[in-house]
Amino acid sequence: MNEGNARRSFLKLTGGLVAGLTLADYSILSRQAAAQTSAPGLPLPDEPVEATLKRLFGNRTPQRGDDKIKLELPQIAEDGGNVAMTIDSSLPVSGASQVSNIYILSDKNRRPLIAKFSFTPESGRAFVATSIRLATTTDVRAIVEMNDGALYAVSKHVRVTISGCDLPPQS
Amino acid sequence: MAEAGRVSIRLPSSIKAGDVIRVRTLVIHPMEIVQRDKQGKIIARNYSFILSMSAAFNGKEVFRTELTQGISQNPSITFPLKADKPGKLTVTFADTMGKTFEGSAEIKFV
Repeated sequence: MNEGNARRSFLKLTGGLVAGLTLADYSILSRQAAAQTSAPGLPLPDEPVEATLKRLFGNRTPQRGDDKIKLELPQIAEDGGNVAMTIDSSLPVSGASQVSNIYILSDKNRRPLIAKFSFTPESGRAFVATSIRLATTTDVRAIVEMNDGALYAVSKHVRVTISGCDLPPQS
Repeated sequence: MAEAGRVSIRLPSSIKAGDVIRVRTLVIHPMEIVQRDKQGKIIARNYSFILSMSAAFNGKEVFRTELTQGISQNPSITFPLKADKPGKLTVTFADTMGKTFEGSAEIKFV
């Protein structure tokens, strides 16, 4: 980001309150950076799943990994706000070829990338379990990325009765 | 939520040296989802949700995750750990409000 852009967006951010400050003021830039990092929860624009795959993996296409990865999800999820999910893979996490990351994507979510899990040789096994939110009936993909860049994918279709994204936040 | 930010860690009841154990962690957090106005437009504000979680065993990072709003409220994450020596496991969650929540557990062999 060049100085002009940074200043412009900073002014927008603060509603022009700092319009009196001089240009190229170093503190403006640093404060703008601070303002950006302190608001990481700002919603990002909607993204189709193809764009997410492109953003994450570029032109690499995952191979089918049904014999290497087990993705457990219910066939029908009554509450899309809380869907239990388990990924267990027989791929190694140590040695020359090892699992570095596992991604979970939901094709029909507003932002398909749900989570990224990074493993180390101390993990012992490429396993993870969590609960996810699904917006609607969708395919859920688990993509395993090896340290050499190879990708393995599995997917499962989940029918969602009540959306996990239209519920009012509970307190 | 009065107890927001509480981190709990559950370990198997008996661990033998060299076992690959499953560590279950949970943090009490609202994990806010995006809200829309009457026109269906997303309201732009800094939503409060957990962005990352990492686990360290005896000070060395062994597992890390990047999370989004696609994770359920009160996120629970179960991750593997190769328990080859006794020691302290710490789990740290960080949210979009700049807060971090930490929990720890002792790995011992029986």
